[in-house]
Amino acid sequence: MNSFAERFSTTSATSQLRKAQALAAEEDDISDAMWGSEAGFGSLAKGVPTFSIPAVADPTAFLRLHTDDHADPNCRIKIQHGTTTLAFRFQGGVIVAVDSRATAGSYVASGTVKKVIEINPYLLGTMAGGAADCQYWETYLGIHCRLHELRNRERISVSAASKYLSNLVYGYKGMGLSMGTMICGWDKTGPAVFYVDSDGTRLKGDLFSVGSGSTFAYGVLDQGYRWDLTDEEAQELGRRSIYAAGHRDAFSGNSCNLYHVKEDGWKFIGNYDIAKMHYDGPGDVPGAPGGGYGYDIRVEGLTSANPPPVTAAA
Amino acid sequence: METSFAITGKGYVIVAADTTAARSIVKMKVDEDKIKTLSPHLLMAYSGEPGDTIQFAEYVERNIRLYQIRNLYPLRPSAAASWIRRSLAESLRSRKPYSVNLLVGGYDTATHEPHLYWVDYLGTMTEVPFGAHGYGSYFALSLLDRYHNPEASLEEGLVTLKRCIDEVSKRLVVSPGNYKIKVVDKDGVREVTL
Amino acid sequence: MSIMEYNGGSVVAMVGKDCVAIASDLRLGNQALGISSNFQKIFPVTDRIYLGLPGLATDVTTLRERFRFRVNMYTIKEEREIEPETFAHLVSSTLYEHRFGPYFVEPVMAGLSKTPSGGVKPFIAATDLIGCLNFAKDFVVAGTASSKLFGVAEGLWEPDLEPEDLFETISQTLLNAVDRDAFSGWGCIVHVITKDKVVTRTLKGRMD
Repeated sequence: MNSFAERFSTTSATSQLRKAQALAAEEDDISDAMWGSEAGFGSLAKGVPTFSIPAVADPTAFLRLHTDDHADPNCRIKIQHGTTTLAFRFQGGVIVAVDSRATAGSYVASGTVKKVIEINPYLLGTMAGGAADCQYWETYLGIHCRLHELRNRERISVSAASKYLSNLVYGYKGMGLSMGTMICGWDKTGPAVFYVDSDGTRLKGDLFSVGSGSTFAYGVLDQGYRWDLTDEEAQELGRRSIYAAGHRDAFSGNSCNLYHVKEDGWKFIGNYDIAKMHYDGPGDVPGAPGGGYGYDIRVEGLTSANPPPVTAAA
Repeated sequence: METSFAITGKGYVIVAADTTAARSIVKMKVDEDKIKTLSPHLLMAYSGEPGDTIQFAEYVERNIRLYQIRNLYPLRPSAAASWIRRSLAESLRSRKPYSVNLLVGGYDTATHEPHLYWVDYLGTMTEVPFGAHGYGSYFALSLLDRYHNPEASLEEGLVTLKRCIDEVSKRLVVSPGNYKIKVVDKDGVREVTL
Repeated sequence: MSIMEYNGGSVVAMVGKDCVAIASDLRLGNQALGISSNFQKIFPVTDRIYLGLPGLATDVTTLRERFRFRVNMYTIKEEREIEPETFAHLVSSTLYEHRFGPYFVEPVMAGLSKTPSGGVKPFIAATDLIGCLNFAKDFVVAGTASSKLFGVAEGLWEPDLEPEDLFETISQTLLNAVDRDAFSGWGCIVHVITKDKVVTRTLKGRMD
């Protein structure tokens, strides 16, 4: 009798197990076929991965309690709040520049964070917002860009790649994902920059900056930006803009990572210490004017005093 | 959103403030002068809580004038700024504090030096070569770090100021339309246009 | 956002052999936005007492003016310079006067007091924002980087350092602590007080 009841009851342990098995089987049915050519990667791409959700009435509110340090400073998941990232398109390709600071509250947790994610040799993604969110989803995007290549025998366009990411994160809207990213690359149409964020916004453009220090970067970037910048001028502008943000914004700084995307893929240009740029400049690199970027260094010895010329005694 | 800038140059201070007086979502006035001339060589740009701004600015204006009448000479910029700061600091711990942010720029006729003080509603004061209040400061300060020159002529200074105004107009969502610009130098205070 | 972290800034003081040192950063911020890289938080009280005031910048300036007034009044009435121990109590009682509406600063004092034999004895002290005195024998810290300063100072400080070594110790302590604090930095200043002179140096720190 007991076993009979157990078999048909909807709440018993065995029925739960049965339901789970049925679900798993269903998933097996759709995934491989849906994603087309396996090419040996079939096992990697079983549809969009799913995540377990906290078993409470309002998962979003529950999650906020554990991710937002404004609501609870002792929360376990720290979202990376401070950052400066920028990317712009110009005649010679795309410049991508980022800072390298990670803060937890006022504590500088790291000064050597890699905020540019190398999706593949032709695509770069930048990282602002949740570090783990950006890292995971942009790496995941990399897998699908590769699958696209294998299926279609041509590289994915920057537009398509960014759209793919945008659709992905939009599916998680309202669940606490936090990312503001620029997907940069070179495709058939030439250099391209797309801004994608976790709200689901996706924008095509020439020039973007994201993060707490973005306004400071814009201040320098906008004033120095032209389409016909030379490669050296453009790299210098990216570096100078990240320095500006690193200087003024408490949550940005430490060093600047600079990338240049051209027709044959991206190239890492260098890592520049912000303190060194302040006092001595970026060093012997093309495009740099020489001397430190720092205001006090730049104006040393200059004075705004305007004493009248001393007239010779009669 | 209210925005004000000030920059020093060779023997002068330029003070600029937007001219909109907003209430809720409405622009009540588009040519409001938010820069007071406190004495022949002293300017003060004010922004913040409507009502408080005007009341406090006029209180300062009258008291600086009173000092000049009593003593037959005006306060020098650093002394005036200190007095203004103290007024704000005392107000902060009163029942109803003034919510006013200031840029006090003056020309010291004794040392022939321009001085600029950044003062906020808490009574925080610091002397700066250039300063800004409001959301505009987030765009203008990095720009000025890059382009400001303490030995710039007035023409060059106005070009730099124009860069700030253009940048804020370009990037700030609720950017002000017009600015009133005043200059103080050895010849006193005057209004200029870009 | 804590009111003590609104403007940022940190101060540290250390005891050496017949000398004391006090050092601070030079940043004035508005939360994340840096406003000034030349905001002094340490002020001379007498020839051999220095007072550091990290905390809310408006109260830093107000208290500096207030202490200058009170020390001047003391000097006029007593017709002698104030001793560091006395000054520490003056600071403490001034702050406690505002027990129910405090000034948001955590003062740090460093000085040399006279001994009956005519020598000098190093003195450092710190108080919380309502004037609870803390007389330390080694070092005191305060400000947004205080937790980081404690860690570095605990590792670097040793007893009976000569003035030059004390300068090196306090400089390295401050420089390395503020590099791990988002709200402190933008340059540093160090004062080393000995029997015959005070040596003041500004340090090249990271400007981010």
